[in-house]
Amino acid sequence: MNQEDFFNIFRTDRAQMEQAVSAGLSSGGDWCDLYFEYTIYNDLLLKDGEVNDGSYNEDFGVGIRVLDGEKTGYAYSESTGLKDMLAAARAASSIAGGRGRQERIPAIETGRGRTGRSSVMEKGIRPDGIGNPEAGGYMDKRLHQDLYPVVRTWDKEDHGKFLPLLKRIDASVRSKDGSVVKVMVHLADYQSYIMMFNSMGELTADSRPMCSITVTAVFSRNGKTENGTASWSHRFGADMISEEVADRLACKVVEGMDARFDARRPKGGEMPVVMGAGASGILLHEAMGHAFEADFNRKGQSIFSGKIGRRICSPGISIADDGTLPGNRGALNFDDEGVPGQKTYMVEDGILSSYLHDRISASFFGVSPTGNGRRESFRFNPIPRMRSTYMESGDADPDDIIASVRHGIYVDEFSNGQVRIGEGDFTFYVKSGYLIENGRLTAPVKDINVIGNGPEALSRITAVGNDLRIDEGTWTCGKEQNVPVSVGIPTVLVSSLVVGGE
Amino acid sequence: MKDLQEILMDGGRGFSGITPEEISAARHCMEFAISSGASQARVSVSKNVLNSVQLLNGEVDKVSRNADRSLYMHLFVDGRYGTYSTNRFCAGGTEAFILKAIERTRLLAPDNCRKLPDPSRYARNAITGREPGLYDCSYEGISPEDRISAALSGAIFGKTGKDGGYGIISEECEYSDSIDDCYMTDSQGFEGRHTETSFSFWSELTIRDNKGDRYSGYWWTASPHRDRIRIRECSPAALSEAAAQIGAARREGGRFTMVVDSRCSSRLAAPLLNALNGSAIQQKNSFLEGSAGQKIFPDELTISDRPWRKGQAGARLFDTEGAATAETDIIRNGRVEMYFINTYYSGMLGIPPTVDGPSIPVIRPFISRSLAGGLEYEENDINLQTILEAAGEGILVTGFNGGNYNRATGYFSYGVEGFFFKNGKIAAPVKEMLITGDMVSLWKSVIAAGADAREGTRWQIPTLAFGNVDFSG
Repeated sequence: MNQEDFFNIFRTDRAQMEQAVSAGLSSGGDWCDLYFEYTIYNDLLLKDGEVNDGSYNEDFGVGIRVLDGEKTGYAYSESTGLKDMLAAARAASSIAGGRGRQERIPAIETGRGRTGRSSVMEKGIRPDGIGNPEAGGYMDKRLHQDLYPVVRTWDKEDHGKFLPLLKRIDASVRSKDGSVVKVMVHLADYQSYIMMFNSMGELTADSRPMCSITVTAVFSRNGKTENGTASWSHRFGADMISEEVADRLACKVVEGMDARFDARRPKGGEMPVVMGAGASGILLHEAMGHAFEADFNRKGQSIFSGKIGRRICSPGISIADDGTLPGNRGALNFDDEGVPGQKTYMVEDGILSSYLHDRISASFFGVSPTGNGRRESFRFNPIPRMRSTYMESGDADPDDIIASVRHGIYVDEFSNGQVRIGEGDFTFYVKSGYLIENGRLTAPVKDINVIGNGPEALSRITAVGNDLRIDEGTWTCGKEQNVPVSVGIPTVLVSSLVVGGE
Repeated sequence: MKDLQEILMDGGRGFSGITPEEISAARHCMEFAISSGASQARVSVSKNVLNSVQLLNGEVDKVSRNADRSLYMHLFVDGRYGTYSTNRFCAGGTEAFILKAIERTRLLAPDNCRKLPDPSRYARNAITGREPGLYDCSYEGISPEDRISAALSGAIFGKTGKDGGYGIISEECEYSDSIDDCYMTDSQGFEGRHTETSFSFWSELTIRDNKGDRYSGYWWTASPHRDRIRIRECSPAALSEAAAQIGAARREGGRFTMVVDSRCSSRLAAPLLNALNGSAIQQKNSFLEGSAGQKIFPDELTISDRPWRKGQAGARLFDTEGAATAETDIIRNGRVEMYFINTYYSGMLGIPPTVDGPSIPVIRPFISRSLAGGLEYEENDINLQTILEAAGEGILVTGFNGGNYNRATGYFSYGVEGFFFKNGKIAAPVKEMLITGDMVSLWKSVIAAGADAREGTRWQIPTLAFGNVDFSG
């Protein structure tokens, strides 16, 4: 798609956007940006053997943000008509308190923080950035690589063709386990057209696909009931949905069900915990990742505030937040402030090396934005958020890690968790796992929690496997707003955590 | 049609709600859907405005003003069913959207249980939208300056002394107000409207003690009525919350009486009420499947739904399909009296419909005989302190940190924080503890419920006490 295509979708042009930005800065303020969004959602739901429920929803609008230092004024309009955009821009401008336009613009990718404002000024750009001949906009620069190319966007797809696939999953699940009493299969997709324009004159556009398939089954054996869930989510087009994906999901939802029926709560206490590769990376996201988000650090709320450059865990441990994995649920060609997608190391070889920044926090800390400015929709202002967060592989053999534990817990998958950002305390619910006895996986366990403190847990990591796996599940992070993310981790040994049990 | 952005510019002042033109447009959409092939249709228009002012360390950090308007459609076409929504609410465009929606519905499999409710179940008294008493007309006079003043009035950053062995690192507060207006109509003649205002303020403080450890505290106030929110109480309460945790430690596990403060007790009530939902029952994903009419819980436990409590958050005259709400018991003297069954699940399960879910669930206050020790308590006098004194010793839970429950089995494990109490008094803060068990057994062991549910919450869940709960730490 080219610039005109996006202008046509949003029924606007550069001149109108410039007018809206000017209105946004009419009371002062350092920065103004516009975020246009048109998203088309489709859902198909199979229940009781039939695809008998579906929905189609569309959402259209523009969010206008004005920054005055670190202060934010935000308003949005569900119409992109000039009159409506100007009204929203003026509403957002109220943050500047009517002190008149200031000779300041924010530091953008200068790496010089607050003083960077003057460095941009030195380029001779007008204070509002409009008309900057150098800005050009990413629209003109083209991407080196589109992280989520599609043959046909989801809004152009004939959704009737997916009905057999959903029924195939249903039949496959039922054929694999005679104790299945209910199956639900949910195909959810959306196509977002995003266009951003800011007071630097940068024009950015992105066409974002997303597809998720979630399978839930209920099993009944001898009067006992259990449920299983499997999901698959990527920034893919329909061409990537295949019978192989369907069959894999059907296998996954029944996988380990025998163990789940046999699973018990173990005796609780403090013990070593081995986190299996893949989905248990949610612990990394929740217990550590949020504390790396720069807004919490800018406000002094995070347990990691003021610790940049310090060792926080053993050498050999590196943790990244990555927006550049092709087709990944957390991938972004550009974040929601128009900053190119990138990979950011929060921890390198055990040293806290970076927070995750949006433009506000980057300006505050005097560093470049890391492409983590994200938002749920045009209704929200961007804030620092994770993308795909994972620990990089170490050099340990996963089998050796398990063999090194005399008595502990192996966690296959956490279903959810929660963390207190200030204290770093976390609790995670173990969906499935095993007891480790004398270096071997023995009895299955379920419905227990592990509890601990993020920095303490990090410092207690004593082995990192060589088997990093990014989970394919439908992970959504709900910090103030919902955004799609993914998680990953290799097999990791934490020498001691509290496990809640009988 | 009134320009939404004019409302935006005005900061919500003078919001007139859904206009007669918008109501006509909704009716037109319904008629167009029927004339284009739908056998039945339900259409609703929703409009809302939200204003908020956020403070960081006593200064305005963010101001936002948002206005939304959306059209929702439930279409029944050739025995098939689909739901659709758009916020591109304009003549011409809407008709194309409806035609596409009808075409999409025809892709789906027929389902005989999908239909509009029996008209005899409709609410007929939701005419103006203001009948539940949730609309505060003072909303219309609030200016942007009023909002900033309200927000600033709640901040304490820089206004407190440094004694107490800690310092405040940051204070975040937010004042917000909103108005929601919804009009619904269907092809069987139902028309209903619901309008409500909402005012809220929250505060979160982070402190650091002399050892450098951080603690955070949170408090909030909310109400449909502007004069009932207590802004100035929030930051001091949040600060007390944070300070009270200094020195919190894990305790050795065991079985204790657990008292759950009303600020977080809905976390344990939600699994119970969700398990009575028709969808969970029909999908066999409920630990209360087959419980209707069964005496499962203690005699003292009565949970009622009170949707007609005028002026109280959660009040409503009709549910999401237009069915009239009713004042009813959900669990009476320990017996499960109802499931939440809409028209669809009524057909699927072959049982009469009720409503789609609880509106204002209320738990009748009590202290069990075993706990009361012969003393008599007036229902309305039972509160946290009364329950702590009656319980004597145990753990008071003031917050949950993570955890989950299994919908099918009811097994749960939650991280909790709060205080160890002895002789009815707070003794020491505790953290990093877990409670485990199963929901049915937990609620069978409920030994007290207060009359102290927090104002402004839709679910009126008070302080609760449970006996013999398994804690590990």
